[in-house]
Amino acid sequence: MTQPAIPLDQPLDNEAEVEILGPPPRARSIIWIVRLASIALVLGSWEFFGRQINPLFMSYPSAIFRAAVVLTASGELIEALGSSIRTLVIGFVSASAIGLVLGLLIGRYKLVDAATDWLVNALYSTPLVAILPLVILWFGLGDMAKLFIVSLLTVFPVLINTAAGVRNVPPALIDVGTAFAASEREIFLKIILPATVPYMMTGLRLGIGRAIIGMVVAEFFTAITGLGAMIVKYGNQYDTASMFVPILMLMLLGIGLTMMVRRAEEFFAPWRGNDD
Amino acid sequence: MGEAPVKLSLKGVCKSFRLRGTGADGQEQFINVLRNVNFDVRQGEIVSIIGESGCGKTTLLRIVQGLIRLDSGAIEVDGVPVKKPGRDRGFVFQQASLLPWRTARQNIEFGLELQNLTRAQRAQRANELLALVGLSHAADQLPHQLSGGMQQRIGLARAMAINPEILLMDEPFSALDAQTREVLQAELLRIQAETHKTTLFVTHDLDEAIYLSNRVVVLAAKPGRVKKIIDIPFRHPRPELPELRGDPLFQDIRAEMWELIRTPAPAVAA
Ligand SMILES: Nc1ncnc2c1ncn2[C@@H]1O[C@H](COP(=O)(O)OP(=O)(O)OP(=O)(O)O)[C@@H](O)[C@H]1O
Ligand SMILES: [Mg+2]
Repeated sequence: MTQPAIPLDQPLDNEAEVEILGPPPRARSIIWIVRLASIALVLGSWEFFGRQINPLFMSYPSAIFRAAVVLTASGELIEALGSSIRTLVIGFVSASAIGLVLGLLIGRYKLVDAATDWLVNALYSTPLVAILPLVILWFGLGDMAKLFIVSLLTVFPVLINTAAGVRNVPPALIDVGTAFAASEREIFLKIILPATVPYMMTGLRLGIGRAIIGMVVAEFFTAITGLGAMIVKYGNQYDTASMFVPILMLMLLGIGLTMMVRRAEEFFAPWRGNDD
Repeated sequence: MGEAPVKLSLKGVCKSFRLRGTGADGQEQFINVLRNVNFDVRQGEIVSIIGESGCGKTTLLRIVQGLIRLDSGAIEVDGVPVKKPGRDRGFVFQQASLLPWRTARQNIEFGLELQNLTRAQRAQRANELLALVGLSHAADQLPHQLSGGMQQRIGLARAMAINPEILLMDEPFSALDAQTREVLQAELLRIQAETHKTTLFVTHDLDEAIYLSNRVVVLAAKPGRVKKIIDIPFRHPRPELPELRGDPLFQDIRAEMWELIRTPAPAVAA
């Protein structure tokens, strides 16, 4: 009798290996302990070294916290935040709607693509905040200028990702529609649109980041309302601790909005969600 | 036994594809994929198409479905030429091609949604099909939660849901492991016995072709043309494949097919 090349108990070995590879539950709590320790360390050193530096140049967590309490109590922070969020939401939502629709058309119809691709690529590659002075000339210092910049920055990532999504719909899925004698409209609605959702979500996520940049820069220039205006105001007053408050707000805003888009992604495209 | 009427007939089907770029002489290059393919499929018959890889089996099946236009010749269903995809033909794809955002049930309902059916009618039909392919318990799973064999069953159910007169299947079991494949082959025969669908089945698996078919069309390559049509005499219901394999007649047919596929047909000038 010949010895089998692979020992018969091989599967058992594999099972043991699989168990080692799976993350033991305790590892999770260790990860969190390390993470919290790192946060404490960074905040602690910031507090410690921040106090040594001239408060004109740098602030530190406890001072920022006190400033935040004052700014919240006076209502200034809330008002600025409200104004910024309004600009952001209106600009982002309208630009996303435009970007999604144009992206679908550009991705699906070659002629629409040919008519617009040079313009889209040129505008996407241009740092559009550069035209802000011109936009302010057109629209003045009011909300319109801000909305325009926010929309302009948001629309291209949404549009480009949506169009890429449409082009990447597997031909096999379109074949399914064709084989079942679906009309162009039905193929668009029942196959291309849902297949493109994950790409749309990526576009929206990138769009959010750019929308926030656009909003802050616009508020710097117009310097009347919003978190950006607050940064300029306290910067000019050399009140660095108060200046940090809107900066941290912006950070939280960015994280919060990106997380919301991620959630939406999991909700609208659950079949894609297994990779992390 | 009286012969059943012809359901589907392929008449002088020719197809060539233009290749990308041009040849050395600057002329456009064409590849002849199918040349003058003729055969009939009778009502309720399963006919398999076999032939070496690249001989044009998929192309032929897609032409019958109307996914590819033919250069010349005709596809006739009940004697009437068809040129476009229609609900008289149902297609089962090689890689199931389920819509990943739809549950098993919703995938089955896809073709039904394109017809004027009420929600309740669709649900009822989907239930029937889920039961037919034995997947009622997996109705609400997404495709990525299903095994390959289950996905193929849903693909078959989706094609059957619109109640086509003709089923077209492109190597539906080729991506499956041997065991699952045999289970699904037996299942297809059972379903066929229940529904009497006229079926055109592409495969490169000789055993599968013999086991499933009433007749087997052997294609020659470059360009693809019919080399021989072989009758498979085993009566239905057939014993399971492992048992049938032991039959000397099965062995003879298999040997003949193997010989046909292996020996190149005389080349045809392009
Ligand atoms: N769209 C196309 N453009 C150009 N050539 C094509 C196209 N589709 C198929 N071909 C060519 O036609 C020939 C037949 O292809 P087909 O897919 O029908 O083969 P097949 O018999 O199904 O092969 P397999 O068994 O590998 O699936 C191949 O040489 C292929 O390269
Ligand atoms: Mg093929």
